[in-house]
Amino acid sequence: MDKKQTAAQSQKLMVFVLTMSLYGLATLFTELIPKFQVGIVEFSVEYFLFIPLVLGMLFDPISAALGAATGELVFSEIMLGQFGGLGELEKFITVTIGVYIAGRLVRNPKNRKTVAAAAMAGTAIQLFLGMVVDILKVQLAVQDFEAVPGLPESVFATEGFAFLNDVLFSGILFCMLPTLFLVPRLYGKIEPLLGMQPRTEKTALGSVNWKTIVCCAAAFAAAAAAEMMAENGISLIDWEAEWAESGTALAIGMVAAAALAVIVLLVIKHRADMRERAEGV
Amino acid sequence: MSEMMRKLSDNILDKISMDFLRNQVLKNAYGNDDTVIAALDPRILLAWYVFFALVPWFLNDLPFLIGCFLLVAVTTLMARVAGLVLFLFVVGVFSQTGYLFAASLLFGGDTGTIAPLLVLTLKIATVSLASITVFSGLDPDRLSNGLMWFGCPERLSFSISYAYRMLPMLMEEFQNVLLSYRLRGNAPDASGFRGKIKYLIYQIQIIIQSFYPLMLNTAKRSRTTVEALEIKGYRYAAVNKTVKKMKLRSLKVTYNDMLFAALSVLWLSVTVLISSLI
Repeated sequence: MDKKQTAAQSQKLMVFVLTMSLYGLATLFTELIPKFQVGIVEFSVEYFLFIPLVLGMLFDPISAALGAATGELVFSEIMLGQFGGLGELEKFITVTIGVYIAGRLVRNPKNRKTVAAAAMAGTAIQLFLGMVVDILKVQLAVQDFEAVPGLPESVFATEGFAFLNDVLFSGILFCMLPTLFLVPRLYGKIEPLLGMQPRTEKTALGSVNWKTIVCCAAAFAAAAAAEMMAENGISLIDWEAEWAESGTALAIGMVAAAALAVIVLLVIKHRADMRERAEGV
Repeated sequence: MSEMMRKLSDNILDKISMDFLRNQVLKNAYGNDDTVIAALDPRILLAWYVFFALVPWFLNDLPFLIGCFLLVAVTTLMARVAGLVLFLFVVGVFSQTGYLFAASLLFGGDTGTIAPLLVLTLKIATVSLASITVFSGLDPDRLSNGLMWFGCPERLSFSISYAYRMLPMLMEEFQNVLLSYRLRGNAPDASGFRGKIKYLIYQIQIIIQSFYPLMLNTAKRSRTTVEALEIKGYRYAAVNKTVKKMKLRSLKVTYNDMLFAALSVLWLSVTVLISSLI
């Protein structure tokens, strides 16, 4: 039994489905329950990251990580219609990286110290990457970011504060303690349900190495680059100038073309309906 | 007065009970498949969504942004979205920018900060309403078929269909486990400030503990699901081109879809005309 803990394809799918449904359910509730603020400190029940962390430590980390990210996307974003486009890509990648690294860090789930450290590390990584992207996003969305008085400092301050608050408050209470509670209890019990061997020092995938870190950094860079590229690409096209100069004539042309299309479509549809009715009778 | 406050808080607590949340989510997912939006072709709607999700971010032309916002507001009404989702949308938009505004006042900003933030709010509102229209107005199966047509990974469209089918069961199971923990537990006295905090901690503890049986149960269920999928040859079918073609044959662009697209273009070009006249 010295094989590495590489699951068969179907078992990977099981881990994926398991993490997806559990984390999806949890994020669905957190999306629905309003947060309450005491002063500037935000106490949210938002942090259910312990679920994928636990499963990532017990099972194949990459399946658990992808399952968690997909679950959040599908349950709390798509099902509630809160899908935010580019922003979701960033959340998807940060959650995946955080859970994957935490899962790789744990070689022996019975060792409480590494479990605790890995849970904190995973949470901190996810939150930190999220903070970086958040700051970038506001900088990109608001034109003349530097020119608006007080905005740059306030963004850095609020985001930095939110990060520290989340790591210390949610990180310890909602990630580290539940993980410490659940991992030893589930270890050896949940693996047989999926037809797998529990992870031990011998069968672990090996700790985080340079390759993992480089891959994660590349994935994050890709997420950040996508946003940058979008911004630069569009400013090259420069839509507004086009309208301002050759404006009115072009706009009238567009209106006329669209109106014509609507009328033609209406006529065709009307005829098709008539024909259908005639055939039906 | 205190009587009124108590009634009010009771009322609000009733509103956010587990059953209410469940009903709203289910209503949002299953309840509106007879609207105009739900009958449209998912491919057209997704292309429409991509336009409204991207373009507002890169433009600062106020009449055009307002025009976009009005259009997506109308489509959201047409999709008959559940009330809770709209409430979340309003809270989300205003907390995001209102918080930033308050913070920038703190750091010596003045009312000049409002204008760029209002534009930002308008952009965020437009983008999120477009997504609410498409993702909550569309039938999940049609949505996942549309995503598949655009070449999204099979995993994602599987996840969407699976999530919509399993959600009612999962929610019920979570509720049952939670209730059974509550029945067995001895809740601390919730009077006074310390009592309230103790009670809150107790609640959180119960929620975390209930994930232990829930994880085991879900593990069993996901094994059953995956084995059932394997029997039907899911993993081979997922990458097979013929199967995909058969699955996507039900998608059809009708006159209604073209009309929808043409009307959107018409409205947008009218706003462009207005903004070029100003």
